[in-house]
Amino acid sequence: MAHSLSLSSQKTCDRAVRGTNDDATVSKLSCVQLGYFEDDFLKYFVRRASKRAPIINRGYYARVSAFRTLVQQFLDTTDETGSNPEKQIISLGCGFDTGFFQLKARQCEPKRYIEVDFPEVVAKKADVIANEEVLRQLVKFPPVQDGEFHGGGEEGGYSLVAADLRDLDACIKALSRANYDPSLPTLVLAECVLVYLPSDGSQALLQWAAKEFSQAAIVIYEMINAHDAFGEQMIINLEMRGCPLLGLAGTPDLEAQRSRLTSAGWKRSEGCDMRTIYENCLDPVDVRRISRLELFDEFEEWNLIMAHYCIAYGVNDPQGLLASFGLRLHPSHELQQRKVPSKDLYMD
Amino acid sequence: MGSSGDLDRMIEQLQRCEILKEREVKTLCEKAVEILVEESNVQKVEAPVTICGDIHGQFYDLKELFKVGGDCPTINYLFMGDFVDRGFYSVETFLLLLALKVRYPDRIYLIRGNHESRQITQVYGFYDECLRKYGSANVWRYCTDIFDYLSLSALIDNRIFCVHGGLSPSINTLDQIRTIDRKQEVPHDGAMCDLLWSDPDDIDGWGLSPRGAGYLFGGDVCTQFNQNNKVELIARAHQLVMEGYKWMFNDQLVTVWSAPNYCYRCGNVAAILELDEHLTKSFKVFEAAPPEARGVPAKKPAPDYFL
Repeated sequence: MAHSLSLSSQKTCDRAVRGTNDDATVSKLSCVQLGYFEDDFLKYFVRRASKRAPIINRGYYARVSAFRTLVQQFLDTTDETGSNPEKQIISLGCGFDTGFFQLKARQCEPKRYIEVDFPEVVAKKADVIANEEVLRQLVKFPPVQDGEFHGGGEEGGYSLVAADLRDLDACIKALSRANYDPSLPTLVLAECVLVYLPSDGSQALLQWAAKEFSQAAIVIYEMINAHDAFGEQMIINLEMRGCPLLGLAGTPDLEAQRSRLTSAGWKRSEGCDMRTIYENCLDPVDVRRISRLELFDEFEEWNLIMAHYCIAYGVNDPQGLLASFGLRLHPSHELQQRKVPSKDLYMD
Repeated sequence: MGSSGDLDRMIEQLQRCEILKEREVKTLCEKAVEILVEESNVQKVEAPVTICGDIHGQFYDLKELFKVGGDCPTINYLFMGDFVDRGFYSVETFLLLLALKVRYPDRIYLIRGNHESRQITQVYGFYDECLRKYGSANVWRYCTDIFDYLSLSALIDNRIFCVHGGLSPSINTLDQIRTIDRKQEVPHDGAMCDLLWSDPDDIDGWGLSPRGAGYLFGGDVCTQFNQNNKVELIARAHQLVMEGYKWMFNDQLVTVWSAPNYCYRCGNVAAILELDEHLTKSFKVFEAAPPEARGVPAKKPAPDYFL
């Protein structure tokens, strides 16, 4: 657990975990610059762009595509009358994610969009937004307050609030400052976040969210398969980098990911490793397009690294609003009758 | 240069993972051309010899390989390409192997891998490394010019055919390989490309390769090729195998992989295949060099993950 570390080493570790945001942002910008996907806003958050290896670009493409698909699914869901109710997205450990800006630019943002991260990350992000006309226009907010954006009150809108996710109370307080609305259908995003927390911390968060939001889905992206040679090396390398995968022992594989969601109170839980997602759930036309963007000669490694990441999600859906939410075989694959990934939990 | 003394000094220096001066690289490469140009596209090699797969600039793991397999020239070696890219020390790795080749031309054979190419090295690290270590692309240019002279395959005692990738639908016989004009950049298709890019697979006949170059070939293709050419085994590299080596097609083909913990990320072991004078095979499996053997680590980036 984090508190068993000495204060100084924990600080170093926290800094390294925050650093994972910078690394992810640079990697995503590398994808944007090479044409993997579009994002007009990432560039504002990167001081020194750098071109990443093809395997890294392709992996971020898969992750971003899958998240965009799930977010769009959530936003598109309609109730039994066919109308689209107001919704809420909460992004935990949001980093410099630009999801809100993209939705806002297309005018399809949900009523509330709340982002939470370490105070240091939030302050930096708020600073960039405040100083960048394009972004400032999109969030349409009054000035930053104590390094946070405190939402649009009852009106809803975008909020950016600070909390240490290991501290559930602080986290709830932060969300309250952002006027989160437990009555709205809610999508909680945890993109490569929970794995850096000790298992009991992330479990408390999952439990709270399952109880607090009656109509909700939570999507987790992170490492799995700790117990093979690649997984063991991954643990060593990330520990050396200063950001140990504290949560991985508690969720060493896909099955454990699902069962922790279930035991936290999420009625439907599913998951897929990223290799399966890349091969089956993404738009094959787009996959073909991006596979031609760069020379790619890392196939064995690609299969390995992608089998060590997953997307797991839990859904609570008493009203049947989110019945079709989830990763599915992409329609273009259906003719070929390939395996339905959500039933094919792990491909060896 | 000119004397074996100079060469020995270079080898010693490279063995300490220290780069040569630019003009030394130039001289070394000029000397290497004279030797390599004489080699056949299907270079004859005599057993005993130790067969090695991809190294990919993992210099300290190459030293580990020599520790496990024995020093050159005491032991004869055949390296099946992919000396450069991906690892941190492509310059030192390739120059050491090349210097050994010039010093002991009949004791060590280097054949070409798909990464011994101008195009690939600009994507996968060797070009950037040369630029970083020398401040110009000259050394990269000398080395990639040498790549064009590397042989495409080897034949050990007429019985074991060694190639980096695999077979080609446009090649049935070794004589067809012998007629290729190899002194060029690796083409995007055709026989020469296929030899360096293809992979064996559990299919019948030929298949499209996901790599976008070369082909997938099945056991039937392998059997036919081996019969046509009266060889008993194809030894190749090119694909990471977690256990260091992998038999396929009823022991008619073996993959040998010699880069342990590939890219400092994959957690795999590596292997070399030792053949004695009767072609008796034995594998030596080894792990990555321990961190303390790597000396003071230069500022090196951590292996990439999705974070």
